[in-house]
Order: sequence, then structure tokens, then C-alpha cells
Amino acid sequence: MTLDHADELVVPEGQPPSATGRRTFWHRFAQDRFAVAGAVTVVVYVVVALFAPLITRLLGVDPYTYDLAALDATGAPAGWGGGISAEHWFGVEPLTGRDLFAIVLMGSRTSLVVGIGATVVSMFIGTVLGLLAGYLGGWVDWVVSRGVDIMLGLPALIFMIAIGAVAPESFPRLLLLVLVIGVFSWSSVARVVRGQALGLRSRGFVRASQALGAGHGHVLFRQVLPNLAATVVVFATISIPGAIGAEAALSFLGVGVPPPTPSWGRSIGDAVTWFSSDPMYLVFPGLALFGITLALNAFGDGLRDALDPRSGGRQ
Amino acid sequence: MTRNTTRRRSVGAVSAAAALALVLTACGANDKDDSATGSPAAAQQGGTLHILTSAPSINWDPATSQNLAITTLGLVERRLTAWQTNSDGSTEVVPDLATDTGTASDDGKTWTYTLKDGVAFEDGTPITSQDVKYSVERSFAPELTGGLSYHKSLLTGGDDYAGPYDGKTLDSIETPDDKTIVFHLDSAYGDWPWIVSMPAFGAVPEDKDDVSTYTTTPVATGPYKVADTQEGTSVTLERNDAWDQSTDEARTAGPDSVVFELGQDESVVAQRLIADAGDDQNAFGATFVPAAQLAQVQNDANAKERLVTSGPGALAYLAINTEAEGLDDVKVREALQYAVDKQAFQVASGGAIAGDLATMLITPGIPGREEYDLYPAEPSGDPDKAKDLLADAGWKDRPLRLVVPDDAPTRAKAEAIEQGLKRAGLTVKIVTQPAEVWTQTVTQGDGSKYDLTLSSWQPDFPSANGNIQPLFASSQIGDGGYNLSRYSNADVDALIEQATQETDTDAAAALWAQADRAIGLDAPVVPLIYTKNSFLHGSKVQNFEIPDFPAYPNYLKVSLAP
Amino acid sequence: MNALRFVGTRLTSMVFVLLAVSLLTYAIFVLLPADPAQLACGRPCTPERLETARAFMGLDQNFLVQWWNFVTGIFTGRTFGSAGAEITCPAPCLGYSFVLRQPVTDLIVGRLPVTFSIALGAAVLWLLAGVAAGVVAAVRRGTTVDRAIMVTAITGVSAPSYLVGLLGILLFGFTLDMVPVNGYVPFTTSPVDWAWHLVLPWCVLAFLSAAIYARLTRAQMLDALGSEYVRTARAKGITERRVVTRHALRNVMVPVVTLFGLDLGVLLGGTVITEKVFSMAGLGALLLDAVGNTDVPLLVGVTFFSAALIVVANLLVDVVYGVMDPRVRA
Repeated sequence: MTLDHADELVVPEGQPPSATGRRTFWHRFAQDRFAVAGAVTVVVYVVVALFAPLITRLLGVDPYTYDLAALDATGAPAGWGGGISAEHWFGVEPLTGRDLFAIVLMGSRTSLVVGIGATVVSMFIGTVLGLLAGYLGGWVDWVVSRGVDIMLGLPALIFMIAIGAVAPESFPRLLLLVLVIGVFSWSSVARVVRGQALGLRSRGFVRASQALGAGHGHVLFRQVLPNLAATVVVFATISIPGAIGAEAALSFLGVGVPPPTPSWGRSIGDAVTWFSSDPMYLVFPGLALFGITLALNAFGDGLRDALDPRSGGRQ
Repeated sequence: MTRNTTRRRSVGAVSAAAALALVLTACGANDKDDSATGSPAAAQQGGTLHILTSAPSINWDPATSQNLAITTLGLVERRLTAWQTNSDGSTEVVPDLATDTGTASDDGKTWTYTLKDGVAFEDGTPITSQDVKYSVERSFAPELTGGLSYHKSLLTGGDDYAGPYDGKTLDSIETPDDKTIVFHLDSAYGDWPWIVSMPAFGAVPEDKDDVSTYTTTPVATGPYKVADTQEGTSVTLERNDAWDQSTDEARTAGPDSVVFELGQDESVVAQRLIADAGDDQNAFGATFVPAAQLAQVQNDANAKERLVTSGPGALAYLAINTEAEGLDDVKVREALQYAVDKQAFQVASGGAIAGDLATMLITPGIPGREEYDLYPAEPSGDPDKAKDLLADAGWKDRPLRLVVPDDAPTRAKAEAIEQGLKRAGLTVKIVTQPAEVWTQTVTQGDGSKYDLTLSSWQPDFPSANGNIQPLFASSQIGDGGYNLSRYSNADVDALIEQATQETDTDAAAALWAQADRAIGLDAPVVPLIYTKNSFLHGSKVQNFEIPDFPAYPNYLKVSLAP
Repeated sequence: MNALRFVGTRLTSMVFVLLAVSLLTYAIFVLLPADPAQLACGRPCTPERLETARAFMGLDQNFLVQWWNFVTGIFTGRTFGSAGAEITCPAPCLGYSFVLRQPVTDLIVGRLPVTFSIALGAAVLWLLAGVAAGVVAAVRRGTTVDRAIMVTAITGVSAPSYLVGLLGILLFGFTLDMVPVNGYVPFTTSPVDWAWHLVLPWCVLAFLSAAIYARLTRAQMLDALGSEYVRTARAKGITERRVVTRHALRNVMVPVVTLFGLDLGVLLGGTVITEKVFSMAGLGALLLDAVGNTDVPLLVGVTFFSAALIVVANLLVDVVYGVMDPRVRA
């Protein structure tokens, strides 16, 4: 199973960004209402995640305290809509009576930390390796390309489960998730960056620098990398939902962040069995997860379209 | 040793079912839920029974199977003895291939069996004592490990025997003629009739034995034979015409065919059976009904009629690693007794239908059980008292590692424990591991990788011995033993030994009760609930019964309404 | 000459990748703090019997030796145990599962129809739907239709597969009672039941993946429609329909086929989540069970097989690429 799906990314290897280029870019982006809505939503999610502990404290709820009084004799939430009330805005969790609003709110932190963290890891590894492979070529390219092939050949989810079991129990699980998901998603970034670096290598301004005696490091970081920045940024944006999805999938399979730390994936996994008797338990975390991935995808799409007019909607 | 966490391995591998019962009549004292038994309908013939299971495959090789006598393998393979489950909930050992449950001589060290007339393999060849001997012998082969192995240390010369494949035979099994088989044991063993109900004591024809394929294509001796296997998807059984009902008192062989639907999700199984549509009317679930569907069923009058719940069976408990830093102080362990929220645990398990609150070790219905409660508190615990005890003990807060298998139901229970202990100011870190890794962590090595763990224990046989010895004898620490608390108390060990050797039933029961209390005072575990297993079946399924022991349905008697 | 060298380099790389994948799989699962022999030991398990089981399973050997035995076994086959009772695993032997007591090759062959049925059906569906949607969106770019298609596409990309799958089961299976809830019926048993049981997983997978193809097709299509030769074609008075189907679409197919080949390779290696959700016993389900049981031979065998599929798919994509895009052949 692939964790990311960004092969189709089409960003032209740009010229060094100029002020006018930036203006038209923002202009184009601002016209894409769907993308702007996505961007706003992402900002809202981030703000909510940052202030989640404060918000829950103000409301007097938390995702850990059991409230068995909110359940009926069978362990299902008592009352309408999964126990929705003035006290519990999203109702309560079956079998525990914990406040679902607090769980969903605090769960955003897990999703965003893993999503962003893992993406940073994969972008870093992928960019560095892709850059070196494309720019240096030769055996470096061979090794990196085979590395990409190997990563594609490994069953990522299965390995993540195994690594989770191999890692010492004292190793922080959240960090482990970030690293593992990141390490298993760098290959497609590397592939794209390699392709672009390969193209840039033969371009005039790079050759000129080399002819003037600039070292590899200088050319790589001053000439090639800035030209790839747009690609990497867009790629990162549309990779975050993949990483969030991977965390949710792992939690769904029972190997994500350890309980009782809230996680949307785990809530969804648990809620699925409850769907017939308590549909709201699935609806709230499901919508939260769907919302952030949708917003990030819309935002990333808009970014790409703005950078690459050819694929854009209006011309 | 029934542990719910291992139930995915293979059909019916859920239970050891060794049933080394000291007292065969000991079971059956439980108050039965009426729905569990119902009035026995006559075994209707015909129809196709569907069995929905989460197991991805069925291992038919008797040498490597740990199957219960009353589940999957029992439909295809007979043994010398079988289990009869009665409508009052009791289970007894009855003759199967043999004419009786065994004749002891030489002070219980020699057991003789005579095969019935008219028992045959699926091709019509009569079963001889040689076939039984060969079946037992092959279970010693290193190529065929993994089955129930109690007999391997009991038969004379068994420890040095390595199977028949290198041409050697096990001399302690004699076959003076085609009908007679004699077992010689190292020492007297009164429960041998239960041992010969295990899969290895069936019959395997030597000329049809291929260790590579017997797993999927066994030679049938029971009412059904394996007709079709779709790897990972289904196994279909058809009638075995060579089987004669008049020779078999344990099986009714109602359905014409049986289809196992493999690899099914527990929750989807339950949903299908609640919906009760089409073929699912002729189906039952071999998996427990998950908590969510239990709640659903209880609000659905139609489905509720088709829910069968066992009596209180396994003890679910929180094991405290008595060798871990700080937890070696009995005061701290006492504090845990008060801090745990048993009510939350019960709710997390599915509420009252999932089990009754427990305060002691010996499960209800076991003779000699004397109810006691050394740490009386509300069902939700007494965190304040726990705090006081912890303060007295000078507890230095450190995170307690609660290591559990990574399946969703156990995780929910672990969270219930965590929130309970947190109220008393204890910090708990839940560590989830794949099932086999968890087993390794808690039953092997020095136990330094966990402080707390959750487990449930169904005795292998209906006696207090089965409740106490495997969990609390110091010999059961590490090396695969289930003394998960790593509890070692010389006085208790002596008491266990004394009770095991006591032949007088009442005297033994009193000793076990004494041991239970003595262990309770040391607080190595927190008894949580006596679990009840719930199963669902379709509306046309009849004679679906769960005995008190083991708390699993008897497949051999299920029949279908026309 | 050039073509030969190309093939030679590719084959070397393939072999290297497959060896590395299997070695990595061995390494990681050998590190797992669980003893596979424990499961095969039986109950009660004495330390002596545990040793016997370990020796029989070859666990007493260094994992590099175990790995090498695995590699050579693919060509020569393997036997386990002593004469008379040996378990044979004929070449191509991908190991022997001591938990399921069957050769891994047999298990893979047994599970393959399930995985292939899911993958191929879904792939055809999403290719058709995705490309069609992308073409329509490109031709009607900027309109409500384009917007609607692209929004649907983004929704598809954003939805977690298990959520869509489970909701599908609940809605179409239980509530509306339109399609079977789960389970797999072999094609040979009943082609109709086979397709009927697969409709839901096909649709779910297609819904998730078609989106990517729609976006890709749309982008490529726009690119093509704005290109020189399409403009020339239009100038010649060729109808727009013909321009789209004959000229522009050809341009689109190259990247679509590339992506399709890679995706299909991955999908054929097993879809862990989809198979779990629909209770279908394919390669993904086999892997997931193997992890729970620490069934190392099965894990290595299936991983090796899946990786081989992906590597071969990669190679085929390159070949097709060469055929379809003459520029590459030069």
C-alpha cells in the first residue's frame, strides 16, 4: 500500500522566483475560492490544535475522565445522538462516557503533529537524496534510485507495525510514529526532486556557475535548491494528508499512539463497530479527519495550480 | 488456559481444554442462564450450517492441533473419548471410538481401551488399534509439534521418543489385537480418560499420512469429511457415509454440510447474525460478540432471543508484577486493589452481560469456593483509601507500564484500568504489543519489561486447582508459565502442593479456599470480573448450547430447522 | 547493443532490489522480541521441546544463514525435518509457514485470485472513470462541470479508505441490503456471485483512486489541447471530438499508463486495509495475520513476492513507455 500519491505532481522547474512572479502567484491563488477555503480551514485546525487544552479547560471537559453515569446499562451513551447535551457537545464515548468533543479536539494535536512532523522528515530525506542523485548522478544516483525501489517494494504498514514492536518501549511513541511514517514516504519526493535536479543540471545558469568554479555545495544550495523550493512546498502540502491518513490507519489497526492519548484514527476504528447503535461516535472524528485532509488537498491543489498555470482552472 | 487474546490463531485453538479434571462431576454447579440451554430439540437432519469465524485457516492435523473436543476437529476426527455436554450445563467424558472411557489396571498406570465395532475411515476401511497408535506416535515427531502435549510426558519412554518416521515405535503403547490398545504410564493418572479425548488420540492411516498435506486433507473418521478448501476463504464439510450414528453418542450430525467462513471480522459477523438474512439464518458465530453489538442486541428483541451467554467462567484480572520496583511492597499492591475502577472495567468489557464483579480468585460454581472480599469498596473503587496507603508506603511516583496485546477490546479495558489508577495519583503508561510479542514479554525472561498486565484465565479443568496453581505457583514464573504476577510465597507453594495431593474432595476444596485467601492477602492480582462469553446464532440454528465448562458452543450437536 | 545493456542493467537492479527487500524483512522481524518457536511448541511446552521446535524451524541459525537458505530455496526447493516425515517445499520455494503449516508459495497461490480479483476490477473501474472524468473536466474547463468533477476528485483523495469502505458496508450492505456485506466467492464457483461480492470493494477503491487519474488526465489534457499540433489539427478543420479522442488523448495516455502500472503493481501485492475491511483473504490479510503471529517465513515470502510484482511492473512501465512515446526510444 502506498502512503502517498503525488506522482502526478506537475510543477515546472521554475526560474528563480521574482517579485512579479510572486504577485501573480498570489493573485492566481486568491482567485481559487476552493483553495482559499482550504487554507482558511487549515489555519483554523492549527489554531484549534494549539489552543485545544485551553479550550477544553474553559469548557470544563477533558478527554480522559470517565463518566459512567452518561451511559445506559449496555454501555452505550444514554440519550439522543450519542448523548449530546449542553455539557457534552458531541456526546460521549460508548463504554467510557468520556467527552467526545474533548477527544476530537485533543485528537487534532496527534494528527497534526504526526502529519506535519512526518512530512518534514520525508521532505528532508527525499529532497537531500533526490538532489544528490539528480545532481551528482553516477553511483550516487544508482544507490538512491535502488533505495527508492526498495522502499516501494516494502509493505509500509506491515513494517511500521513491526518497527513499533521492535522499538524499545521507552522510546516516545509519537516521535516513533513521526520517524517511521516519514522514513516510509520519502521515496516519491526523492523521485520528483531527482528528476528536476537532473533537468536543472543541464540548464544554463547552473552550468555557468560551475564554469565559474563554484563548488558543488554552492551550486546545490544556492542555485539548484531554490529552484526546487516551490515543488517541495507544494509536495509537502499534499503529503501531509497522506501522513495524517497513515497515522489514522495505524491507529485503526491498533498500533498508533498509545491510549488514552486521543487519536482520530483509533476513535474511528472503535466507532465503526458502534455505527448501528451510536452513529454520532463515528461522525465527529470521521468528519474531523476528512475535513483536514480535504482542506490540505484543496490548499495544495490551489498552490500547484497557482504555480503552474497550465493545470489551472481559468486562463 | 483460555486466553481471549490468542483466539485468532486457528479455529477452536481458543482453549486448552485439557480437562485434567480431578473430579469429573465437579462442574455443572453454575446457575445457568435459561437462554443458554433451552429445551433440547430433536436433532433435525438436513441443511447447510455456516460457521463464521475470524480464524484464517483450519489445521486438521490432530498432532499439531489444540482444538477443543467439542469444536471444529470433532466434526471430522473422532478420538478414543469425547465430551458430552448436558443441558444442565455439565460436561462429562464419554466413549467415542472406544467402548468405554478406559479400564485402569496396575494401580492406574495401565489403561486399556477396546475399539467399537463399525468404526471406519471415510473410505470404509475399519479403524484398527494400530491406526490409533500411529496417530499418537506421530504427535511425538519434531515435524509435528504444536499440539496438546500432556500425554508426551505421561507415557513411558515418551520423553525420548521422536516419532515413527525413522522406523521406531513407542513401546509403551501396545496393540495386542486389532481392537485393543493399551497405554503404559510412568505413574498413576486418574484423569487419563480426559487425555485421550485430545486430538492426537484419534486415528490416522499410516499409508495416507503425508505430513505436508494432512493439515488440509485429513482422513475423516467423524460424521463429516473435508470436501473443499478455499485457502483463507472457506472450508466445506460434506457427510461422511462411512460414519455410523449408532456408534456415536457425542455427535448428532444434523446438517448435511457445514461451511466454515474464514477470516471474518468479529463485528461484521455479529452484524450479519443480528440482521439474520438468507444463509445467515443457518449460521452461528464462533467469535465472541463484541461490546458494541452486545449493546445493539440488548435493544433488539429478535436478536436477543438468538444471543447465548455462558455462565461466569474465566477470571479477568490485573496482574501486578511483584518483582518490579516498588510493587514488591504489599502496601502498594493493596493500594492498587482500592484504586482500580472495577465498574469501569466491567462497562468497558460490555456491561453486566460481559461478566460479574470479582473479589476473589476461585470462580463461581467451583466446589469449596468461599466468597470473601479483603478489600471492600464501591465497585468503582476507593481512590482516597488508595492514596492513604500509598502515602504510608512511601510510594515514589514512577510511570507503571501496563503492557497489553494490541487488540481493540483489550485496549479499552487497559484504558479503564489507567483512568482508575490515575484517580489515586498513580501514573500508568499503556504499552500495546502484537499478541505474540506480549506473550513473550509476560511469560518469558526476567519480567523486567512490565509492571502491570491484563489477562483472563479459564481453568483447564473444573477444579480450584485449575484456578490457582497455574497462576500463583512459583514454578510457573517465566519459561512460558502464566504466573504473570511473578508471585512467589513458600507457604502458598506448600499449600498448593498439599491441596494437589489431597485425595479427599472436601478436604482438598477447603485447602484451595485457604490458598485463595492466603494469596489474596499478598494482593498479587486485582480480581476484576468473572467473564461471560456471548455468542449469536441465526434463527434456524437449533441445539446451540454452551456448557459451563468450557464456555464455548458445542459444534457437534448443532442442528438446523427445516 | 544498447538495448541489451539496458535490459542487463535493469535486471541487475531488479535482483539487487529483491535481495535487499528480503534481507531487510528478515532483519527487522528477527529483531522482534517474540519467539516464533513458542507458537510451534505446543502445550504444555517444556524447554527441551522448545529447543526441538527451534532447531526444526531453523531458528537456531544466524539470520543471514536463514536468509541465504531462503534465497537458494527459491531455485532449488527446500526440505524440513528428517527423512520419512520431511516437509517438502518444491522450487520456487518462498519458505514454509510453521504457523499455517503450508509452503508459502502455496499460500500465495491460494490467496492470489482474491487479491487479483480486487485489484484488477478496481483498476479497470478507476482507470475508465478517472480518465473519462479528467477528459470531460479538461474539455469543459472552468465550468461548473469541471469544478464538480475536481471537487469530487479531491474528496476521493481525502477520504480514508477504511472509512469509505466501512460506511459502504453499513449503507449498501446492511441498511439498503443491496450488495453482500463481505466475503469472497471464487470465480470458478459462480462468476455472478464473484462479481456481486466484489462490487463494493471495487467501487470503494475506484472512488479513492479515480480522483488521482482524473486530476492527472485533466492536467495532461489541458497541456495537449493547448499544444502546437492540436492547434494545427484544429486549423485543418478536424472536429473537436476527433481532436480530443485521436490527438490529445494519445498524449495523455503516456503518464497515465506509467502511473497505472506502478499502482497496479502495488495493488497486486495486497491491499491490507481493503482486505481487512471486507473480510477478504488476499495477500494483504495474509501479511497482517503473519505479523500478529510473528510468522517470519510467511512475512518474508509474501513481501518478496509483492516486491517482485512491483519491480516487474516498473520494468513493464518502462517498456510500454518506450513503445508509446517514441522520444524515449531514441
